[in-house]
Amino acid sequence: MTYYAQLVLNGVIAGSIYALFAVGLTMVYGVFRFINFAHGELIAWGAYLVLLLINPPFSVPLYLAVLPALLVTMAIGVGQDRYVYQPLIHGNRITLLIASIGVSYLLRNTIRLIWGSDLMTYGIRPVRGIQFAGLSITPTQILMIGAAVFFLGALYFLLTRTMLGKSLRAVADNMELAAVMGINMKKVSLTVWILASLFAGAGGFLLALDTNLEPVMGMTNMIKAFAAVLLGGAGNVWGALVGGLFIGIAENVGVAFFSPGYKDFISFALIFLLLILRPKGIFGVLTGVR
Amino acid sequence: MKKIIFLLTGFCFFFSGAYALAGTNEVVVGSVTPLTGKLAVYGEGFQQAMLLALDEVNASGGINGKPMKILFEDNNSTSKGSVSGIQKLIAIHKFPVIFGPAASSNFLAVCPIAQDNKVILIGAESAASAISTCGSYVFRVFPSDLGQGKGVAELTDNLGYKKVVLTYVNNDWGVGLAEVFKEQFLKNGGKLIDEFAHDEGKTDYRSEILRIKKESPKAVVNITYIKEGATMLKQAYETGVNVQWLMGSASKSPKMVALAGGAAEGVIGTYPTFSQETPQYRAFKEAWARKYPGKKMPIFGEYNYDMVKLTAKALKGAQSMSPDDIRAALIKASKGYIGVTGDKTFDANGDISATYGRWTVKGGKIGDYK
Repeated sequence: MTYYAQLVLNGVIAGSIYALFAVGLTMVYGVFRFINFAHGELIAWGAYLVLLLINPPFSVPLYLAVLPALLVTMAIGVGQDRYVYQPLIHGNRITLLIASIGVSYLLRNTIRLIWGSDLMTYGIRPVRGIQFAGLSITPTQILMIGAAVFFLGALYFLLTRTMLGKSLRAVADNMELAAVMGINMKKVSLTVWILASLFAGAGGFLLALDTNLEPVMGMTNMIKAFAAVLLGGAGNVWGALVGGLFIGIAENVGVAFFSPGYKDFISFALIFLLLILRPKGIFGVLTGVR
Repeated sequence: MKKIIFLLTGFCFFFSGAYALAGTNEVVVGSVTPLTGKLAVYGEGFQQAMLLALDEVNASGGINGKPMKILFEDNNSTSKGSVSGIQKLIAIHKFPVIFGPAASSNFLAVCPIAQDNKVILIGAESAASAISTCGSYVFRVFPSDLGQGKGVAELTDNLGYKKVVLTYVNNDWGVGLAEVFKEQFLKNGGKLIDEFAHDEGKTDYRSEILRIKKESPKAVVNITYIKEGATMLKQAYETGVNVQWLMGSASKSPKMVALAGGAAEGVIGTYPTFSQETPQYRAFKEAWARKYPGKKMPIFGEYNYDMVKLTAKALKGAQSMSPDDIRAALIKASKGYIGVTGDKTFDANGDISATYGRWTVKGGKIGDYK
């Protein structure tokens, strides 16, 4: 029994990080109507910038390195928008998609250029997990769940209780109409990019803290996030959250029945089935931040 | 249109003819080597070791007076690149001997092509046991996993572990080694409590670890690489799994110890080894320092060096430059040939025998297990 409980717990941990990535990805989709393939690179950059700061010449302690690293990640996110996507925003959506693939290559290979392709680590000694009722969880993992709850809670507050959040939802519903109603589009798009890169960068850092860093770490997680977005219905923030958790739990619990080698197969088979049976996502809403 | 095709065919014939003519004054061997891509870090070292051997061959008269040359074809570290590389070397250059690419999956991709075209393929880094049955034109100077699988089984037996969990990386190399281990281990009277494959290149192996934890074994045989090994050891430690880890040679690296951050302590494994006390090894070391001063000796450099030297010996003794004659000469030349990496006598499968050492991690450092 504890075996299954532990599998679910592991699923929640993995899922909460997937959810962080997926929510950012789906918000960008909700407003700009394209999947930003460079989203994964924000994950990797968040992690690598912390690595940059804790090593010489900066040698900042880890907890102090996080904030500046996240600020730079946000700057990269906003920069993507300002210098690549904004000039193309009135063109075809496919153009944006391809531009984002280009940005993704650029950012990923910049990491390779600076840090190399080799695996890196923050060099923190592993600690024994905290044991309770036969379950084991490490402090880093508690931090992962905590960060997801904090960031997504803050997002809930923003979207439902503030004017900015409401305008964000309005823009996601109908961009032209929202602009006609006098909603400041610049402010809304800035908010979306800042939030998406913040979530990605923070998740990337936590993931690297939990495991390690490599240039393709963004891409692997981006695929999971993309699946979560599809599962929740593209553009649906809470759908992405549930989708992320669902994938995390499904692939971890699936291990009890299949060889762990098929972990990715399990999550993608489920998505495949869902797309056939419920093409609009579990919640049946096609668009809009609800 | 017809004229153009005719002209083009003519050109092709002309150039291929020209190439064959130029080739008569030198002996050229092809090589598919990872010079770009993820294995490029190793590929450069392989190439340098091969060139070092080549220099020595040519300094002592080449192949019966003709200089020997190696034409390197990059494979971008992929199977696809390896296949197009070898096809180019066979179809355009028509080389009778080709040095195969590193990484078992890449080597296995080009194996059938060499065999079908009756071209000799020699490998210096690939360990997958499947390569043994690849074909009669395929040789390697690097020991097969067949030996190492048995080595790990014996290690497990020697340490007194009768019941273990077996996990292996899910690719040609891992599956092959696991098969050999299993056969030998079961024959020795051992029992597998559980066995499963794990994927390459993941960052989260917690579900795999849980499956191990569920069975609470005393020892786990983990046939895997550096990164996967480190991640699993670290996450097992965090999950509170206390087992004796038994591993192969592919995870024997200071990088693995560094990535595992202390969790690698006490791991025991096997690795193919050769004596560093032989005159051959000392000569290689000196020659390396002379040609590449200040450069660290690359991983598997010794094997690449031996491969070129042995091939040169075979080419010298071959009756003609036809693959069949070279093949006969290669088998003959290998008999009792002692290279830097020991005895290179080919068996019926084109494999060599090897001795296996044992390694362990103590105080954050890799050393010999005694």
